[in-house]
Amino acid sequence: MLASSPDSEGSADGGSANLRSPEGWMEIRGLTKSFAGERALVEADLDLARGEVHGLVGANGAGKSTLIRCLAGVTTADRGRITIDGEELRQGSPQASERAGLAFIHQELNLIPHFSALQNMLLGVRKTTRFGLIDWKRSSVQARAAAERVGIHFPLDTRVSELSVAERWLVMIGKALARDASFIAMDEPTASLSGPESEKLFSIIRDLSRHGVAILYVSHRLEEVLDLCDRITVLRDGRIVDEAVRGRLDKKGLVRAIIGHDIRSPEDREHFTADRSGRPIFSVRGVAWRGAVKDVSFDVFSGEVLALGGLVGAGRTELAHLAAGVRRPDAGHFELDGKRLDLADEAAAVEAGIALVPEERRSQGLMLQHSVAYNMNIASLVNLRSFPALPFLSARKGRRQAEDLVDRLSIKTPSIDTKIASLSGGNQQKALIARWLNSGIRLLILDEPSRGVDVGAREEIHAAIRALARSGVGIILISSDVEELAILADRVLVMREGRLTGELSGRDITEARIIELSYHTADSGQGEPA
Amino acid sequence: MINRSDAAVAAVGGRKPIDWRRAGLVFLSRYGTIVGLLLMLVFFSIMAPNTFFSRANFLNILSQASLTAIIAAGLTYTLVVGEFDLSVGFVASFIGLIVVGFMSYQGLPIWISIALALAVGIGLGLINGVLVTKVRINAVISTLGVGTMLTGIGFSYSAFPIASGIPRAFTNLSLGRVLFGVPNPVFFMLGILLILWTILNRTDIGQKMQAVGANIEAARLSGIRVDRIKMFAFATAGFCAAVTGTLLSSLLGSGTLGVGDGYLLDAFAAVFLGSATLRDGQFHIVGTFVGVLILAVGFNGLAILGAPSNFQPIYKGGILILAVGMSALARRYAAAR
Repeated sequence: MLASSPDSEGSADGGSANLRSPEGWMEIRGLTKSFAGERALVEADLDLARGEVHGLVGANGAGKSTLIRCLAGVTTADRGRITIDGEELRQGSPQASERAGLAFIHQELNLIPHFSALQNMLLGVRKTTRFGLIDWKRSSVQARAAAERVGIHFPLDTRVSELSVAERWLVMIGKALARDASFIAMDEPTASLSGPESEKLFSIIRDLSRHGVAILYVSHRLEEVLDLCDRITVLRDGRIVDEAVRGRLDKKGLVRAIIGHDIRSPEDREHFTADRSGRPIFSVRGVAWRGAVKDVSFDVFSGEVLALGGLVGAGRTELAHLAAGVRRPDAGHFELDGKRLDLADEAAAVEAGIALVPEERRSQGLMLQHSVAYNMNIASLVNLRSFPALPFLSARKGRRQAEDLVDRLSIKTPSIDTKIASLSGGNQQKALIARWLNSGIRLLILDEPSRGVDVGAREEIHAAIRALARSGVGIILISSDVEELAILADRVLVMREGRLTGELSGRDITEARIIELSYHTADSGQGEPA
Repeated sequence: MINRSDAAVAAVGGRKPIDWRRAGLVFLSRYGTIVGLLLMLVFFSIMAPNTFFSRANFLNILSQASLTAIIAAGLTYTLVVGEFDLSVGFVASFIGLIVVGFMSYQGLPIWISIALALAVGIGLGLINGVLVTKVRINAVISTLGVGTMLTGIGFSYSAFPIASGIPRAFTNLSLGRVLFGVPNPVFFMLGILLILWTILNRTDIGQKMQAVGANIEAARLSGIRVDRIKMFAFATAGFCAAVTGTLLSSLLGSGTLGVGDGYLLDAFAAVFLGSATLRDGQFHIVGTFVGVLILAVGFNGLAILGAPSNFQPIYKGGILILAVGMSALARRYAAAR
């Protein structure tokens, strides 16, 4: 593609003139949007050619989603315009965006679970008969053609609820194609995909690109972005701070552009080794549940970060749910400080000293319409009583605890009374970890703690987890981010298809070893759950 | 302390002009009910300066509001935990009947009758709670079922109004004016509202109730015993309905079938109006009280201005729809913020 990019507005040399040429199919000019006085997007310019794969990166709250929401017609910009193929897009109308050929795939896939894949894809198609009714025949022909293009191999009458996350992505892309989309924005597409599944998605994206479909690829996984995208736009604090063609930026440069400074590289990584000579804090003994977890046994020691590696669907989340009392094991049991546990529910687990920070932050962790302070204090209300014997709470103690937690975890919030919904994902996650710091727990299970979180916040979350471990709490960390396991863990247990397939500790914890153990062999790793 | 970088960013970015339409809607969704109440007070005071704007009439309004406020405050608790109780009106009717029956038919002393009646109210609330949490029947269905059954049970207990053998002390409970010439129900209302407000905002269990209503999965994972919290809310609703029923019978001087049924709609309208007051669509006690006052002032003012009585249901139904609409609006703007 192009050799240089405009670093400043003034550099109208050959390269940037080319960027602004008529092949700039979509042109965004001066897009500006503020929410309640805070600028979410400032004078954003962006061009997209047909068939271009364009990466959009930035910390949470940098303005990526605002930009996408403007394109989707969900948000109306205060200023600026968007033209597509020379025609100005009417803003604030999702229908207009759809007619212009724009399609959007969000992390939470908007599919109807009890509809079949075909029915879901048909929702996007608007072929009507002469009488204005939906022409099912023509529509389904179109949907089937789209399915073929994205390489859907499962039967199209399969219910979406029975499909894996990867397969749902295919359905979403198929849905976009069925309505002749010429632009697809994808938000964190690989967040819940395994390695081979991601690879498959990339090849589909490349194929779409060859057929002239422009892709706006939003992701925190920078390697992917660097690998996949023709051009990358970096947003910081609502402004476009860098725009680069493939090859001009490396990961380090990209990280620097996103956060403004370097981060610790894996080479000078610390290696943690918790003392495992004493009695374990928490033990799993022959636990099994419905074929998802098969005869799993291990120990967690005080101050240890024990990571569970493996692919999505390996049974790690299910194991976490069993340990946290969400579900009861069919066989086996757990021990805490050598005492056998029989956890009837989540409350029993918390009472015993086991807490879970769930994978689904918004739906299972946060009380969105409540304040930051409320969300952090809710699990340690007993500490906040005016008098220990009476149920009355002291507002002063509540404020003091919340302020202390905000401080300790460097949670970025205007005040402790701010609604947690308005914080960035990383800060919300820190608040969810903070919830357990004063609750006297013995074991904290973190399921994908840095998923969808920007680079800077990820570091701070890691620091918080290590600090918690140092205080003597046992930690079980589940993450699909192999690098995260390598950075953070004292010990890594790898799970595959419900079983433990290996244990790594100290210098053996490498990304390559974890990946190796996650897949049976290189060949069978390609097999999908379908 | 708190990190200031966000504020710094905003300062660098500068301020943009205020979106007035949005600001107006946010204002409406928070303060609309209070402004509405004040406007109503001003309007009726101007229209009927001698009859409406008088101490006697204001006491009258408060007195009328008090029974609705008590039952609505209990209902608020069930909505706070994300449930529903359609039985409150029927519970009030039923308790109003049996409390008089205990004295008249069974010849029990007044205080024992009342204590028993309130206990039955709590018990009915607990039955609702068990049906919803343990048997897992949708609250709309289970509470409607319980309420409907109560009508039948009440009918078999006494098909005719019980008007004899009622001690004077019982009617004095609501007709008396212990302090400053203010009718007793007003004090009952203030006492119950204060207790319920304190529990909801200043105790463990109140915070947990709010958590259950805000996000039940998150509440579970925070170690909250969700079922117990919900049962507490239903029991409180049952208790409050029983208090309203008891005061109603005291006021009427008889136990009559179905007298409290109509409170269901009033209570719902008040609670939803309240949720569109001050707190972004959340259900809370102060809001509910504001909602009750809007209803009571409206009824009273319309009656004084001579509106025909068939106008009342129109007003009531209209307010209910308006209230639920405003509540949804408040939540939407809260979510967007």
